[in-house]
Amino acid sequence: MFSQLIISGIAIGATYALMALAMVIIYKTSEVLNFAQGDMAMLSAFVAYFILEDQGLGFAAAFPLALLFAFCLGAVLEFGFLRRAKEPTVLGLIIITLGLQMILYGLASWRWGSDQKNFPFPVSDFEVHEILPGAVISDLNLVTLGWALLLMLLLFAFFRYTKLGVAMKATQQNHVVARIMGIRVNRILMLTWGISSMVGASAAFLIASTDTLDPNLMWNPQLKGFSAAVLGGMTSLPGAVAGGFILGVIENLFGGYVSVEFKSVVAFAVIVLILCVRPSGLFARHYVRKV
Amino acid sequence: MDMKRDYYEDIRLLDSGSQIFWLIALLAVLTAFPFFASSYLIYTVNLMAINVIVALGLNLLVGYTGQISLGHAGFFAIGAYGTLVLMTKLGLPFPAALVAGGLISALFGFLLGLPALRLEGPYLAIATLGFGLTITQILGRIDYFGGHMGLQAPPLSVFGIEVTGDAGRYAVIMPVCVLLAWGLRNLTKTRVGRAFVAIRDSDIAAECIGVNLTYYKTLAFAVSAFYTGVAGGLMAFVLGFINPHTFNVMISILFLAMVVVGGLGSVLGSIMGAVLISWLQIELNRITELPLLGPLLEQISHSVFTISGLPNVQYVVFGLIMVGIIIFEPLGLYGIWIRTKLYWRTWPF
Amino acid sequence: MAKRLFLAAALLAALALAGGAWAGVTKGVSDTTIKIGQWGPQTGPAALWGAVARGTGVYFQMINAEGGINGRKIEYFLRDDAYQPDRTKAIVKDLYENVGVFGFASGVGTSPGMAVMPYLVKNQIPWVGSASGSTHWAYPPKKTIFAVYPNYPDEAKVLVRYALDTLGKKKIGFLYQNDDYGKGGLEGAQAEMKKRGLKLAIEVPTEVMDTDLSSHVLKLKEAGADAVVLWLLPKQAAITMGTAAKLGYKPQWMACSTLSDAPLMYKITKGLWKGVIFGNFAELPDSDNPLMVKYRKAQQEFAPKERWGVFFYAGFGFVEPMVEGIKRAGKDLTVDSFVKAMETIKDFQGIFGKVTYGPDRRQGIRQVFLAKCEDKGQAKRLSDWIDAE
Repeated sequence: MFSQLIISGIAIGATYALMALAMVIIYKTSEVLNFAQGDMAMLSAFVAYFILEDQGLGFAAAFPLALLFAFCLGAVLEFGFLRRAKEPTVLGLIIITLGLQMILYGLASWRWGSDQKNFPFPVSDFEVHEILPGAVISDLNLVTLGWALLLMLLLFAFFRYTKLGVAMKATQQNHVVARIMGIRVNRILMLTWGISSMVGASAAFLIASTDTLDPNLMWNPQLKGFSAAVLGGMTSLPGAVAGGFILGVIENLFGGYVSVEFKSVVAFAVIVLILCVRPSGLFARHYVRKV
Repeated sequence: MDMKRDYYEDIRLLDSGSQIFWLIALLAVLTAFPFFASSYLIYTVNLMAINVIVALGLNLLVGYTGQISLGHAGFFAIGAYGTLVLMTKLGLPFPAALVAGGLISALFGFLLGLPALRLEGPYLAIATLGFGLTITQILGRIDYFGGHMGLQAPPLSVFGIEVTGDAGRYAVIMPVCVLLAWGLRNLTKTRVGRAFVAIRDSDIAAECIGVNLTYYKTLAFAVSAFYTGVAGGLMAFVLGFINPHTFNVMISILFLAMVVVGGLGSVLGSIMGAVLISWLQIELNRITELPLLGPLLEQISHSVFTISGLPNVQYVVFGLIMVGIIIFEPLGLYGIWIRTKLYWRTWPF
Repeated sequence: MAKRLFLAAALLAALALAGGAWAGVTKGVSDTTIKIGQWGPQTGPAALWGAVARGTGVYFQMINAEGGINGRKIEYFLRDDAYQPDRTKAIVKDLYENVGVFGFASGVGTSPGMAVMPYLVKNQIPWVGSASGSTHWAYPPKKTIFAVYPNYPDEAKVLVRYALDTLGKKKIGFLYQNDDYGKGGLEGAQAEMKKRGLKLAIEVPTEVMDTDLSSHVLKLKEAGADAVVLWLLPKQAAITMGTAAKLGYKPQWMACSTLSDAPLMYKITKGLWKGVIFGNFAELPDSDNPLMVKYRKAQQEFAPKERWGVFFYAGFGFVEPMVEGIKRAGKDLTVDSFVKAMETIKDFQGIFGKVTYGPDRRQGIRQVFLAKCEDKGQAKRLSDWIDAE
């Protein structure tokens, strides 16, 4: 049972890691906690479902189109709402994302109702490989795991080695100075939202295929992704992924050996304990602000 | 005429004569209200008053001290369960149980304030969120507290007088609400209140000029939790039945929305935010029954959306109102209020 | 003492009635109309059950099209409470005090129902057919409240009995949602096992928030349960089935009536629902029961876009006894005559099991039947209506 719990934990942790990555990307550039993250992804999953089931197109068309939609959605929300805020405070921006979450949730349930739907996916969750004696992992789990790690590496490389990525980092550190240096801060923010929305959408596709597709799909993964991001330090991409895995494994071990009832809250207790020791998470450097 | 000329004017509870006049007028209206309003309206106002108390407490934490909390549903639950359990199991009278429930909540607030000393921003948000979730989970686990089956509120009597009906509950809730609002206004005008604001603006600077951070940050958490706990105790009687599900994460988030939409760091803002959001919560489900708008929405549902999903339009409207207020006025409803006041004062220029 | 209390209550009720309706007019009832209200989640996490209320709406439309009840057309008011008790209470007050309804039909959820029950009892407002199998409604009996839905404990007893006696299973696991819904089922299962001097092999709670159930399924597997009863929401049930399939765990799955929408369950479990035995409180969707045929036609006429799922037509079934009661009360419809008429209902059968009320009986149905999911989500009936006791 032990090895299976670990493997299941890593598998579910990979989905948390994807959501954490999405949140970290936005937080890195604008310090905004995006409460709409989950429902942006949920809406994109519904769009993919719509293309697959109602329009009858294949996966090869549906997923890229839905990802494109996700990118546009993210960019539009940033351009149309967050950028419009007058003299924004961080808390105000957070509440705007909360309002956006409600709007997206309302639109999705208005269009697709609340019945659970089956989200088709090309990779099966029932084709399993026994990688340790008595412990199995499914194809879908492997895909999720691989995708999370690949995205992490890509994003990491993007932020470190491309001009655009460095510009994003600069934007995070100081909007004003970044603008003086010739970076179009607004455009960068819009781009960040688009990329983050795409990452979130890919997580939603993977989650919806084991879960069922309905408007409440991403509520729990968003909370878990948020926790994973905090655990990893909120600004660190490898941290977010590691945070997701740690969270998944702790939950499963606790659920398996101690108490199933407190499984979903034990993660928070662990996070609080870790934060007491390392106030900025496991992988981010703690900057002491100056007056 | 808004100029403060000396220190004593700055710390005065009410700024001007006209404010005293309006306050008395408001109190008169609040007193007369239950004699004229229908029981439904009184019930709605009771809910609003309870949310006002929570918003005041949360605003002290978020607006005045600059700490975030996504776990106030936890304090709300502690207050509600505390009050009921103290009354039914230990036989305490209602007023004592209500205060005790608030104090228990304050104790938890103090405890949560300790790790919060080192945390800020998203880290604090997650820690408080976890607190809220854990509390409801624990309450659901303990059978002494009714477990997941929930608890029924006992008959309410205050100082030997049996309280029944919505008007009766109004007579209990509204004085508490007014008292706590007055208390908060008073607190923010004192040394303690100024220490909170100093911490919000810059905690390191505040520490340098001699504000004891440990003391004041945990105090802010404790006072905020006390307010929310008292509101929870009252809520238990308005609902008549509570179970852990009643105190979910969503209401923590709504509390935060009330404070920010109303206006950070203002008593009046908290009141306006809580009233607006509770009103939307209760009345928006009738949006499809409105003339003109209702049929129009139905048309749209038929052509673009689905008719069975139509009630979800309330989320869209709710979200748009919230987003709209914050986009156009960072100080929320309070900001709009100030702006309108200024406009009339300087009119026609 | 109890008798005297009851007398006093009856006297008070009579006074209240006389005071509120001096001309002999009952609230919500006129010569041509009768107003009936309902709360139900149309939005939010529980919106899945909103179909119940929409079904009731279509049922009333059908009755109105047939000429109403005793010449009175039904005016139906549905409000969304999003499964939040404070909103439910506001809705009930508004509908009773401002709109002036005669009574309430169905209404989803235990906590919303619990929040409004004291108000309904105090004002003697009829409420028939809560769409929740909680035991709070009928025990102890309250004058104007009539339960229809078979209790969760009753249903669990039937399922467990079937697993032990007919299927010959030895070790029964119980996977339940950790609230009064799941606990209700658990109680029934425990009682049935205890009666035979047995115990459940393992009891595993889940939280509504949980979307990863691997440790839950592993626990069931470790305990070696050869039949597992599910008392969950559809989403969690689907995740459970998927996880179990992945881990190679294949017990006989059994499910409560909340999961009796076989076509939906078949679809969202990607076919794994095949072979699951589940309790039913209503006829199967493709049943040729004449009432079902009639209701299907009504759905096609009034709400062609709705899915003909069990919770949609359950909205018809929950309210059948209420309509029967109003019919029996005749032209002179008051709360008292309605309650009296309801109490005469005996072995009344619509699309649910047999409904019986009496002066001290408020739990209408105590029977369920079992069905098995076959290919493509077709349900095959395994038994006739089974009594819980």
